Amino acid sequence: MRDFVLKRVVAVIIPFISLYGFYVILHGAISPGGSFAGGIIVALSVIAFATIFGLDRAKEKLPEKILVWTDSYGTLWYVLMGLVGIVKGVPFLSNRLAGINLGVPGTLSAGGLIALIGIGVGIRVASTMITLFFTMMEEEK
Amino acid sequence: MPAVITANLPVFLIILPLIAAFILPTIARRQRLQENLLLVVGSLGLLGAGYLVYLVMHGGISSVYQMGGWPAPWGIELQVDNLASFFLLVVALIILPVFLYSRRNMAEEVGSREKVARFYVLILLLIGALAGMALTNDLFNVYVLVEVATISCVGLVSSRNHPLSAEAAFRYLILATFGSALILGGIGFIYIITGHLNMGFAAQELVQVWQYRPHVVWMALIFLLAGFGIKAALFPLHLWLPDAHSIAPTPASALLSGLAVKGYLICLFKFFYRVAVPFLLQELAIDKIMKWAGLLGIVLASLMAIRQDELKRRLAFSTVAQIGYLFLGASLMNTRGLSGTFFYLASHAVIKSALFLSAGMMISVTGKKKVSQLAGIGKKMPVTTAVFTIASLGLVGVPLFSGFVGKWYLLLGALDSGDFLSALVIIAGSVLCAAYLFPVVRLAYFEPAEIKEAQDPGIPQKLALVFLAVLVVLLGVMPGIVLELANRAALDLLTP
Repeated sequence: MRDFVLKRVVAVIIPFISLYGFYVILHGAISPGGSFAGGIIVALSVIAFATIFGLDRAKEKLPEKILVWTDSYGTLWYVLMGLVGIVKGVPFLSNRLAGINLGVPGTLSAGGLIALIGIGVGIRVASTMITLFFTMMEEEK
Repeated sequence: MPAVITANLPVFLIILPLIAAFILPTIARRQRLQENLLLVVGSLGLLGAGYLVYLVMHGGISSVYQMGGWPAPWGIELQVDNLASFFLLVVALIILPVFLYSRRNMAEEVGSREKVARFYVLILLLIGALAGMALTNDLFNVYVLVEVATISCVGLVSSRNHPLSAEAAFRYLILATFGSALILGGIGFIYIITGHLNMGFAAQELVQVWQYRPHVVWMALIFLLAGFGIKAALFPLHLWLPDAHSIAPTPASALLSGLAVKGYLICLFKFFYRVAVPFLLQELAIDKIMKWAGLLGIVLASLMAIRQDELKRRLAFSTVAQIGYLFLGASLMNTRGLSGTFFYLASHAVIKSALFLSAGMMISVTGKKKVSQLAGIGKKMPVTTAVFTIASLGLVGVPLFSGFVGKWYLLLGALDSGDFLSALVIIAGSVLCAAYLFPVVRLAYFEPAEIKEAQDPGIPQKLALVFLAVLVVLLGVMPGIVLELANRAALDLLTP
């Protein structure tokens, strides 16, 4: 698409979409939304970029290698957070039992490890959605 | 062993393949490293599963593992019992030779390096899901793990570099998704009337409420039987299996036929014996359905197997017949029948992997798919054919091979419950099995060779095949620990 208005508007909006996505991911533990929804919003910003500026430019910005790495290590991060409990001598995926300070209810730190797990899940969901979209766009060519 | 490892061993067995699965895509180009990683995972898994069996048999581990330290009705539990450790041992015993076999051997069947890496990721995800299915004690977790396993299986079927594989995988996907929906429905019914997702708590409630809602319980159990029946290829629902298992790459065929269908069976047994009780199954006539489906499966699928000329398809139909034995044994509702079922499950897993791996090796070396074209292969590929012969003898149930012990216990179980028809079919099934496997062996050894150039595979593949053949003989000569575990698992399930 070569429409000037569309390009300018999207260029302005995309950072805000991403920012909102990260906000939803980070606040997943304490408010509606969560890392799955947040991850999809982050992915939407990239998808919007790819539809307006073309698949090739999107792939230049976000090569497949990075997507593979975020895909894999986002999930591994989840496992690592689970192992925190085992290292502290309590069961897998323990949160408060593992001595994590849960802070004041309603604040960002109130989720303990859940907020950190959410970051991993969000990254994973975002990169999976982007990979899916890229694959489908490629097949259309 | 440090206490940390001992206490968390069940979790480690689940996350070990998953961690490897997520590391693999990042080293997709370094094939040597990948394959070494797989071997490490396989060996660690075998060590861990063996140690878990030791711990369970000597009471060295608590039978319940609470995820995140939350107690039962709220938290998610892993049940570390005889059944779980038994199935984990079977899984670990199969995956090590499968990994060995696929070492530097997958490029021809699967394609480029990236595709091989993807293939390994799917195998690892399948193993993680199977380990979870063995251990979990939570109804909804069963559903999630079943989905993970199903998607991995479909991916494995489609990973063959062949146009027909996409068709087989698509048919499998449609039917398996239907099965997943039925399973979810069954779990939903149980959850609605009991209000629990934990198997132990759901069972306590179910015993009390089933009299008031017999139809709901009946629907739930029928949904579960049909859903898991599709995935485990119970006889009339097996339509996807022959295509899918014969077209998949050889190591995947071995895993799918040997392990994946059994994982679903283990889950079904958990639902039927741990959530429901044997009395309930008999009251609602579920055991009759299982018995007749099993009987028909043994006879008809064996007859169909005899008619197949393509070697891998013949083995795939044979899997349907052997699944019939497992359902038949489970329907007998007595200890010897059920422990025979479990032992037969283990022995079939080993035998069918050996059969598929050796048959796949013959096919990939000679390029001939038909049984009739493989005449005289015994002289060209002695080791591979010997393994195929040993596994055939095992599947038929010749004494001193593992199939015999399983069939013997199934027969005793059938006689215990006075069911002479089942006993007759169990014996007839052996004869039919001989009718479709021995011609292959006869052609391989006693016919003049048509194939000019063929030789045994490299050392890792040979090791894998010999390992499985030794297991077939070992399980038959001294079934010891495995039989003991099967007995204990059966007792656990039948005495609430």
